[in-house]
Amino acid sequence: MEPIAKNIMVSRFHTISHSATVAEAVRAFKEAGGPGEKRRVFGMMVVDEQGNLIGMLSMYDILLLLRPKHIHIWADMSDIDISGIIDTVCERARSVKVEDIMTTELITVSPDTHLFAILDIMLRKHVRRLPVIDNGKIVGIVYISDLFYFLYDKLAGDGL
Amino acid sequence: MGVVEKHSMLSGFKVREAMRRQVLSLPDSKSVGKAISLLIKYKISALLLTDGDGRPSGVVSKTDIMNAYYADFPLDQELRSIAAASPITCTEQDPLEAALEVMRQNRIYRLYVYDQAHTRIVGLLAYPDIVGLLYRLCRSCKRNYLIQKGVREEAEVIRRFTVKEVMTPNVQSNRANDTLYTLMEALSQYRFGAVLIKDHSDNPVGVVSKTDLILAYKHGISPERPAHEIMSSKVHGCEASAYLAEAIQQMIFSDIHRLFVYQDRPENIVGVLSFTDAARVRSGSCRACLTTRIKIEDQGI
Repeated sequence: MEPIAKNIMVSRFHTISHSATVAEAVRAFKEAGGPGEKRRVFGMMVVDEQGNLIGMLSMYDILLLLRPKHIHIWADMSDIDISGIIDTVCERARSVKVEDIMTTELITVSPDTHLFAILDIMLRKHVRRLPVIDNGKIVGIVYISDLFYFLYDKLAGDGL
Repeated sequence: MGVVEKHSMLSGFKVREAMRRQVLSLPDSKSVGKAISLLIKYKISALLLTDGDGRPSGVVSKTDIMNAYYADFPLDQELRSIAAASPITCTEQDPLEAALEVMRQNRIYRLYVYDQAHTRIVGLLAYPDIVGLLYRLCRSCKRNYLIQKGVREEAEVIRRFTVKEVMTPNVQSNRANDTLYTLMEALSQYRFGAVLIKDHSDNPVGVVSKTDLILAYKHGISPERPAHEIMSSKVHGCEASAYLAEAIQQMIFSDIHRLFVYQDRPENIVGVLSFTDAARVRSGSCRACLTTRIKIEDQGI
C-alpha cells in the first residue's frame, strides 16, 4: 500500500459546529470515542453551516481556557481555600463557544501527501491530527498514532 | 512603582530565578487580528515580535492594540507598524534588583530575558512573577516572625489585612453611553486596565477592560459605539472591610484581575483592588523585612 494520506487516514471522521459550546463539544468527544470505537477522542474538526472546515478544536485549546490567569502566583498560597475551584472553572467553561477558542490557523494535507511529509508537519507543528482535504472537501483525518501503526510491522521486522 | 531598597529580600537573586520561561512570539509581518487571538487564547498581555530572521524586533501589548483600534487601523494591519520600539531586555544572569530598576526607569511592565550568550530570548520577567517569588520567599523565611512565634496557621497572617488597606482609592469611571473612543482616551491617560461604567444616577452598571476593547476590535465593532454594548455587565465587587484573603479567593474563583471595592452598599464604589497588589502585600509584610516591600504598578492584565 502506498504510504500516502488516503491510505493512513480515517474516513469515518467526526465534526462539530462552530456555534457549539464546549460542553457540547466534549460530549461529542465522548460519543465519538465511546464503546465500540477504537480510540478516545481529544479533538475535532470544526465546520461552518455548509460543512466547510474552519478550525480545529483540541484538548489543548480547552485546557488553555481552563488554566487560571494567576496560577503562577497563587499555586503556592496554601492558606487560601480553593476547594470547589475545579467545579467552578468547568462550569464557566461549559458555555463558552467553540468558535471563540478553536485554532483557526489550519494545516491540512491532500489525499496524496506522503507519509513522511505528514510526519514532518506533525513533528514541527506539534499536532497529532491533520485533516485531509480533497477539492475543498473534508475526506478524512490522519492521526499520528495511525501513522505510527502503519509502520508497525516494518519497524518490528515482522514478516521478514 | 519600583522603589527597591539596597538590601532587600530580593538581593542575591538572579533574573532567571523569577522569570517565566514560556515566551509567546509572533513574526512582525502577521496581522493585528492574529495577535488579538493569541493574547486572548493565552490570557497574556503582550507578545514578542520577531523579524524575518527570527530575531526579536518589537513588543506588542494590549495597550498598543487598543491604540491601533483608536487610530482606526484595519485588523489586517501588519504588527510591525503598530509595535513599540525594540523590546527592552536583560540577561538571565542579571541581578533581579537591577532588572527591576530598568523596568522602573523605562516605565515598562515586562523585560525579555536573553541567555548568557545573548543569542536567544529564554524568558520573560514581569511583576506578577516577582510577586510569586516574593511570596515563596516570605513563606520559607526564617525571620518571618509569625513562623518564629510558632503560629502555624497561615490564615492568621492574612487575617491582618483588610481590602481597604490595600486597595487603590479613586476609581476612574465613565458613562454607559460614552463611546469606546472616550473609554480608550481615559484608559491611556490613567494607565489602568479597566474603567467602571456608571448609569445616569451614578450607579455602577458594568466594566470595560482593555481585553473587552481588543475583542470589540476583533469583532469589527466601531469605536463610535457606546460602552454599554461591549461592557461586562457584572461588576465584581467586594466590601472595603472584607479580609484580603476573601478578596483573593474571589478573584481566583472568578479568574479576574481586579475587584471594585464598595463601602456600605454595592453601588458605592470607593476603590479598586488588583490581584498583584493583593498578592504583593502578602509578602515582605512582617517586621523582619517591611522595608523590602516593593511597590508595583497595576499592569491591567
